Amino acid sequence: MYRVTFDIGGTFTDFVLEHADTGERRFAKVLSTHHEPSKAVLQGIRTLLDEAGIEAGQVEAVLHATTVATNAIIERKGSRTALLTTRGFRDVLLLGRQKRYETFDLHLDKPKPLIARRDIHEVSERVLFDGSVEQPLDIAELDTLLEALQAAGYLSVAVCLLHAYVNPVHERAIARRIAERGSKMSVTLSSVISPRIREYERTSTTVADAYIKPIVRRYVDELGAKLRDAGIAAPLAIIQSNGGLITPQLAIDKPINIVESGPAAGVLMCAAIGKQEDADHVLSFDMGGTTAKLGAIERGEPAILSTFEVDQLRYKPGSGLPLNISAIELLEIGAGGGSIAHLDMGLLKIGPESAGSSPGPICYGNGGELPTVTDANLTLGYLDPGFFNGGAMALQDQRAAEGIRRHIAKPLGVGVEQAAWGIHTLANANMERATRIVSVERGRDPRQYTMVAFGGAGPLHAVRLAMAVGIPRVIVPVGAGVGSAIGLLVAEPRLDYSISKPLILADGVREAVAALLENLRAQAVDDIRKLARADLEHRYFVNARYLGQGSELRVAVAISADSAADLAATRRNFAAAYRRTYGYDEGDAPVEATDWHLTVTRDGRTAARAQAQLRTESIVHGRRAYFPESGGYIDTPVFRRSALRTGQRVEGPAIIEEAESTTVLPPGTTAALSTAGNLVIEILGGAGDGA
Amino acid sequence: MAHSALDPIALSLLWGSFVSVTDEMGSTLRKTAFSQAVREADDFSTGIFDRQGRLIAQGNFTPGHLGAMPYVVRTVIDYYPLETFKPGDGVLLNDSAMGSGHFPDFFLVSPVFFEGELVGFVCNIAHQIDVGGAAPGSQKVIGVTEAYQEGIRILPVKVIVEGEFDQQIMRLICANVRMPEHVRGDLSAQRNANHLGVLRVQAIFDKFGVEGVAAGIEEIFDRSEAKMRALIREIPNGVYSFEDCLDSYEIGGEPIRVAVDVTIIDDEVVVDFSRSSDQVPAAINAYQNFTRAHAMFAVRAFTDPFMPQNDGSIRPVAVIGRQGSFFNPVFPAPSGGRAAIQVRIFEVINGALAPLLKDKAMGGFSHWSNPIIGGIDERTGHAFIYYDLVFAGFGARAYADGVEGLAPVINCANIPVEVHETYNPIKINRLELIQDSGGAGKFRGGCGLRKDIEIRTAEVQLSLLGDRHARAPYGLFGAESGALAASILNPDGEAIALHSKQTCTLKRGDVLSLRLAGGGGYGPVTERDPAAVRRDVSDGFVSPEAALRRYGIRIDS
Repeated sequence: MYRVTFDIGGTFTDFVLEHADTGERRFAKVLSTHHEPSKAVLQGIRTLLDEAGIEAGQVEAVLHATTVATNAIIERKGSRTALLTTRGFRDVLLLGRQKRYETFDLHLDKPKPLIARRDIHEVSERVLFDGSVEQPLDIAELDTLLEALQAAGYLSVAVCLLHAYVNPVHERAIARRIAERGSKMSVTLSSVISPRIREYERTSTTVADAYIKPIVRRYVDELGAKLRDAGIAAPLAIIQSNGGLITPQLAIDKPINIVESGPAAGVLMCAAIGKQEDADHVLSFDMGGTTAKLGAIERGEPAILSTFEVDQLRYKPGSGLPLNISAIELLEIGAGGGSIAHLDMGLLKIGPESAGSSPGPICYGNGGELPTVTDANLTLGYLDPGFFNGGAMALQDQRAAEGIRRHIAKPLGVGVEQAAWGIHTLANANMERATRIVSVERGRDPRQYTMVAFGGAGPLHAVRLAMAVGIPRVIVPVGAGVGSAIGLLVAEPRLDYSISKPLILADGVREAVAALLENLRAQAVDDIRKLARADLEHRYFVNARYLGQGSELRVAVAISADSAADLAATRRNFAAAYRRTYGYDEGDAPVEATDWHLTVTRDGRTAARAQAQLRTESIVHGRRAYFPESGGYIDTPVFRRSALRTGQRVEGPAIIEEAESTTVLPPGTTAALSTAGNLVIEILGGAGDGA
Repeated sequence: MAHSALDPIALSLLWGSFVSVTDEMGSTLRKTAFSQAVREADDFSTGIFDRQGRLIAQGNFTPGHLGAMPYVVRTVIDYYPLETFKPGDGVLLNDSAMGSGHFPDFFLVSPVFFEGELVGFVCNIAHQIDVGGAAPGSQKVIGVTEAYQEGIRILPVKVIVEGEFDQQIMRLICANVRMPEHVRGDLSAQRNANHLGVLRVQAIFDKFGVEGVAAGIEEIFDRSEAKMRALIREIPNGVYSFEDCLDSYEIGGEPIRVAVDVTIIDDEVVVDFSRSSDQVPAAINAYQNFTRAHAMFAVRAFTDPFMPQNDGSIRPVAVIGRQGSFFNPVFPAPSGGRAAIQVRIFEVINGALAPLLKDKAMGGFSHWSNPIIGGIDERTGHAFIYYDLVFAGFGARAYADGVEGLAPVINCANIPVEVHETYNPIKINRLELIQDSGGAGKFRGGCGLRKDIEIRTAEVQLSLLGDRHARAPYGLFGAESGALAASILNPDGEAIALHSKQTCTLKRGDVLSLRLAGGGGYGPVTERDPAAVRRDVSDGFVSPEAALRRYGIRIDS
């Protein structure tokens, strides 16, 4: 039997077909069809099945990642949505948290909200912080309002009332009333989607969920039907932002959980590679055309955050729409192959403006006129003009060099090669800062980490980046160009639940904690039934801080033998995490818990051993490439990755090419193909300045 | 250029490295601080200096420290000559005149040694939660008539000796503040930030060499100065003046006059506040470093907001004020609550330059409000402090309406209603934009904001810190000003209008209704797009009556 995965991305839909027993894989890439995503999906699957000579009926699982939810939000093309909120608080959503994401820019605009003020309606009711009802819900008034909303043609209703995370009675009453009226409007309650304190973030999450619900439902229904028509009866699974798989019904119930679907799968791929290569701690580095994304994996588990921001501007925290969802931690910066090099005060700067894929870098020959990182990599000899994307696209190296000369080298009074090297190095410097944020600033010692690099441009920059921050080892996996689709193969089901309850972690709160854990378990019961899986574990986490601080750390709730929370051990977990992050702890200072989380999942499956494809061709040629340590342009050996034998060592300076990516090995590094087929690069003499 | 020991690529890298270090120091400080001002409001700064005390790079955190950071190391060197420093030392100061204008801002300066030589300094500034004095938070305005009532004053003192806190000095500081553990914790956070900064700066010296760095920073200074001069040269020569006011500092008093004369002479600018009122016997005076900070912020806004701040870029800008005036007071002028006036420093410069730089000017802000309510929470028997940050609309711009509900000049997040209600015996009854409050114009000013706070314990003390109760935020180029602000006690009962800086006792059931002003408009009302008026009516920003009365557009509801 076979498993099919696909990742519907912005430009391409990537596919993997894997034999369930042998682990043999085939890859495919098809242009995405945004107006009708299932079209590209069927085309890709059909191609793979035909190539492999397999019947549709032999597919036992279909796993996928999709941008349908994200796109609806980013393009503001969701369904017409109304928000019902507590009287007196109509403007919570429009006000937001009010902090400028650029302190020094007074001309900035806030992110455009998904709905307008006219779509926001107040209901008379009031619940207090302790859950007591101060003012009962006015049902007569509600009925009048619902009548008007239906008449106005709203398709979806978000309900977010003050303190509903403590007592959801009024939100539930509104949902009941909408159902009793036989309305077809879909409904999202804040107490279901995100029972957490802080009204703005909860409202934002609730509105976004309601806004995409009709679209995600239509998408899932359509895709399922098309696959069945094509003879694939296997169940369809969707990956969430937390890296966990769910059924289509769960995606319809809580669509907000699938907004960051594809990137999460890429990190899972890195986690699986880490396991294959016995790396406990992994930094994932994904560099594409416009951005670079960095993530972290601890002992095989991707780091998870309980908030996510969608549609950020200029990659600035605070510029997007906050969502209370569990998401794999990723730092995204505007550094990609298409990032444009320019001068400011006679100094070289890279990005964040990008030439994107259209017009793209100068060397694409599609009208791009400004030099990019890719143009520099070509000029430095790192890319082969005749073997880009496996030779599918010829690059114009003369024009790239000319562009760099005109826009950078000449104004700076330096040579073209020095300018190109400057572009490459400065792009690395930008990513170095991001890598430090993900590692050192979050308590991760780079010397303990392995970097797994993927994406079209990742392996070009990864080794120097690792050297700069003191990471001793870099791995470039097989199929780096379809990383997310591969990641889906190792994904497991996962459900996350949260609830807010500020408590000082001391013996007096045992019962309160027991009640919280029970509440979390109860939230999960229905969903677990829908997943129809019996082998899932319950794991509890808590966001905690020293009383009086403002930012929390997420740590595991220790569970004692009698299945109750062990608060002393949980406090110790917190102190250890605090020491790891900040270098010291505050001793006996009181620890305050804020949000409580339940994760229902199981350990990720170990990646099937990829078959190292044995080819007899032994292509080793050379070209001039730039390595300043070796004196500039030197004759550099170039290897085809497919020609490397397991265990064969390649010493830098060297270049290793494959269809989707190129790995640059600077002097002082060696690469070898592992038995699993991964390219493992060791940095000799360990680290640079490191931690 | 003159200092060519580094090639242009290396210079680009060097500059980026310094900025990156200030950023990383800030991130360390923010995450481990207890002070709400630091962690929520980014009320801190970080900087790197050469051994002469010249500022090489400053992190982009609060604008409030732009005026002090460039000079702080020179001040420290006056007290502690270079040869008295050892690795790991830290010098602390918080004096209003030497620092950033009020005592809660603690400056910590540490030397950087490389290969045994002192090569420079790192510094960070953090707003401490409390430094003693008349009221919690050390920012009480009315009734504080001299700085001696505002808490502990620290002239430069070596509080960290070779990495260890001097416990005698710490004992002295901690004995004078309300929350000694938090101050201790925040000083540790400040030490950590400097420690990290030292390591990173050493790595920069290691990579580029002492001579390379020395040549590089001269180049950085020269180029920044040249760019700043070029930007100023684009503004026509002349003297540009503007006047506005701040509410009086006491009930029944006269408004405080805020007058500025901006003189552009070729590639230099002088911002002079001398014609403003004299210093006042209330804690809102703007020491020169504070005035300079927000004047610098305004100059940047009108030249290049992302202009790097260093010794070179500040050379062409002078900010002055008559000695003894509100904007250059003489010690012991009290100044704890000076945050209340920063918006106005920006606004008068904005008003002065608006006729020249129409595209960059905007109408007046809603201002902001920073009320504090304290007392005993009956639910716990413990003292509580309800601290709030209330922000409303921006003034309209040359190309768009004013942004709704955003922090002006000062930059921090608000505090959620649910968080406030959970931790304090108060209930928020409303939080809503005020209809028809935004100044009408071709582009409308952002709306004012109403926040109603009900007291749910026997008795509390209220200290208001708002403004714009006397004169509304101005409109530009024929637009209307926004609506006036008001603070009203018990709006639904026997309503009493309060002063914007009032302190008084409130009882259970009392409701304080804060009404922030509306932002000023931009351009003549007659040029308003009728579709925009209809949209505003449909969204409830403007009432149908006002649409007719102010815009002449009839809308049937």
